[in-house]
Amino acid sequence: MTGQIAKALTEATGLLRGPQRAVRLIQKLLSDKLQMIFEQRHLYSYARAERASGVALNSALRWILDAQRPDGGMAAYYSLLTGYSEPYPEVTGYIVPTLYDFARATGGEGAVVAADRATRWLLSLQMPTGAFPGGLHAGSHGEEAQPSVFNTGQILQGLVRAHIEANRPEILRAAVAAGDWLIHMQQADGSWSGPAAYQNVAHTYYSMVAWALAELSERAADDHHDYRDHELGLSYGLAAERNLDWVLSHFRPSGWIDGINLRGHPNYLHFIAYVLQGALECGILRRRSDAVEAVAKSSWVLLRKFETNKFLPGAYEPDFKNGQRFTCLTGNAQMSCVWLRLFEVTDDLRYFNAALKMNEMLKQLIPVRGPRGICGGVSGSYPIWGRYQPLRYISWGCKFFADALLLEQRLTGSFAVSGFEALPCAS
Amino acid sequence: MRIVVLCSSEYSETACAMAVRMAKLGHVPVGALALSTLDRGTLLRKLGQWGVEDVIRYARAKLIPHRGHRQAQARNPYLQPWLKHGEEIFRTLREVAKFYGFSVAFCNDQNAPDSIARLREWSPDLIIFTGGNILRKQLLEVPRLGVLNVHLGLLPEVRGMSSPEWSLLNHVPAGVTLHYVDAGIDTGPLLQRCEFPDVAECESLSDLRNRLLAFGLEKAAEVIAGLDQGTISASAQSHRDEDRQFFVMHEWLQARAAERLTKSRRAAVAGTVNG
Repeated sequence: MTGQIAKALTEATGLLRGPQRAVRLIQKLLSDKLQMIFEQRHLYSYARAERASGVALNSALRWILDAQRPDGGMAAYYSLLTGYSEPYPEVTGYIVPTLYDFARATGGEGAVVAADRATRWLLSLQMPTGAFPGGLHAGSHGEEAQPSVFNTGQILQGLVRAHIEANRPEILRAAVAAGDWLIHMQQADGSWSGPAAYQNVAHTYYSMVAWALAELSERAADDHHDYRDHELGLSYGLAAERNLDWVLSHFRPSGWIDGINLRGHPNYLHFIAYVLQGALECGILRRRSDAVEAVAKSSWVLLRKFETNKFLPGAYEPDFKNGQRFTCLTGNAQMSCVWLRLFEVTDDLRYFNAALKMNEMLKQLIPVRGPRGICGGVSGSYPIWGRYQPLRYISWGCKFFADALLLEQRLTGSFAVSGFEALPCAS
Repeated sequence: MRIVVLCSSEYSETACAMAVRMAKLGHVPVGALALSTLDRGTLLRKLGQWGVEDVIRYARAKLIPHRGHRQAQARNPYLQPWLKHGEEIFRTLREVAKFYGFSVAFCNDQNAPDSIARLREWSPDLIIFTGGNILRKQLLEVPRLGVLNVHLGLLPEVRGMSSPEWSLLNHVPAGVTLHYVDAGIDTGPLLQRCEFPDVAECESLSDLRNRLLAFGLEKAAEVIAGLDQGTISASAQSHRDEDRQFFVMHEWLQARAAERLTKSRRAAVAGTVNG
């Protein structure tokens, strides 16, 4: 508690260094309060944004590009109290696929340049073991970096994608080293625990690491230049599935997932959605229908809640009970991604429908005006003083929001291309 | 048979037409319970649902009728035969009630204790639901036979909202289902499932909805006659436990449903020309 108060005070002193931020802070507090008073959620309605998805996507990407620091790393957040944070290796890694997806969808060369700069910065951070450090980049403070399983997995996603796009051997070498280290650190039951795991315990949301290993496995299998590459591809895939099995053993019949295991924090939607995203993507890559079914079941519970209440609470107690009043926008954007992907694999239009409405709601909550760091940014919580990342616009929120819009764009586009008869149907 | 009509507003054309249809069938309702239109909750709900402009347009049309308004068409032209009354049309349930001699009560919540008490006073055999709240157990237990709902889709395939649109996108025939309401969403026992034969004639989604409402009203009359004569009984829905609930459709998907409707219309026209 004392630590939290000290942290809050330190943040608050940021206003002394940038008093101009006080105006923006007050503006945002007031606008969220007013919006909450006047918003009416009703079963027969849904939020409609005036901005087209393409415009919202451009502004989200603008926010991400603005958040890139001179060294190439992405700031974790823009705080209304302290401004931009130090660069964050984890987010810098898994924002790389978003940048390449954006470039492919729009032809935006700026995103490719940003992805390349981010990748070069990440390569400079890799430890001799192949691991990547946890937390914000501590280089400027001279603190010793600690290896982190989760961050290594998240960065691995970016490296795999960067290798696909740039085809540079040093990126593949870094990805393989990271993958090898992850396998080395994996427990016999498929989980990751110990000093390189957050709070030293195993977490089900490390399914995101399994997804990264499954991606690496696919890439190694595609690339198989020689017998060793092929063997390596197999071992990454098997490691991914070992973790997937462990994660799936934590799914309850109610759809709830145990083992998020974050001491001192509620079960934020962001982490629940991480479990689902990781398990789903890993399941798709490894052709594991049991994983897709388990994720679909949990996602359906959340879909029903969203359709009924028009938003997803920021945190839940087990069995999705007692949803808290604030909204974790990142978690909402992640669930949009999960529903869109489930629509792709199940053809059930209800997932697509929910995701379209979720994206509308998110577009409505993203600032269309304001200075760098605010305009186009995704706040940690709505209202901004909510418990998850209060008073901050966070880069991973922007990343998932952009992912959701990119997926929406791809899927709505494929409807037009594939013609009417191919319209998928719910069973 | 003692019939009560439940509706979302006294201005509901469907409720008015239903009450007239029942009266012409020989079952003048014993009463009608409508949600108040001008309470704060409804107003805010409609603002959220329709937006400010549409709410103002609706309010003007309803509350400030123009000269000669009574000779105007019903908003749903397919209900016109039931709403037409000499040279005029019934605009409100109050007008229907006055003409046929039954009472209309108003409430803010159909499940509220005073609403339930009012319904009990009428001791209905059957309640016909044409809109309003999600009904709770206490209300469902009031009528002797049950609460009848006309669902604008075939059950059990398409439960929940935007049923005509979801039917189009999912290749389920358009139709209506007459069923008793239970604690679930459109999961109650079935009385009649009727496919709608004239989809190809529909010009738009709203046209399809309007036609389905009129079609459902006719089928409701058949079912009530059957219930009265004891020739129709309810049967439990198959696949009751499967989750086939649909939710409000996003406008992008609605546009795809409208395209499908247009395509089926074109195919029908081409078939007529070729045939």
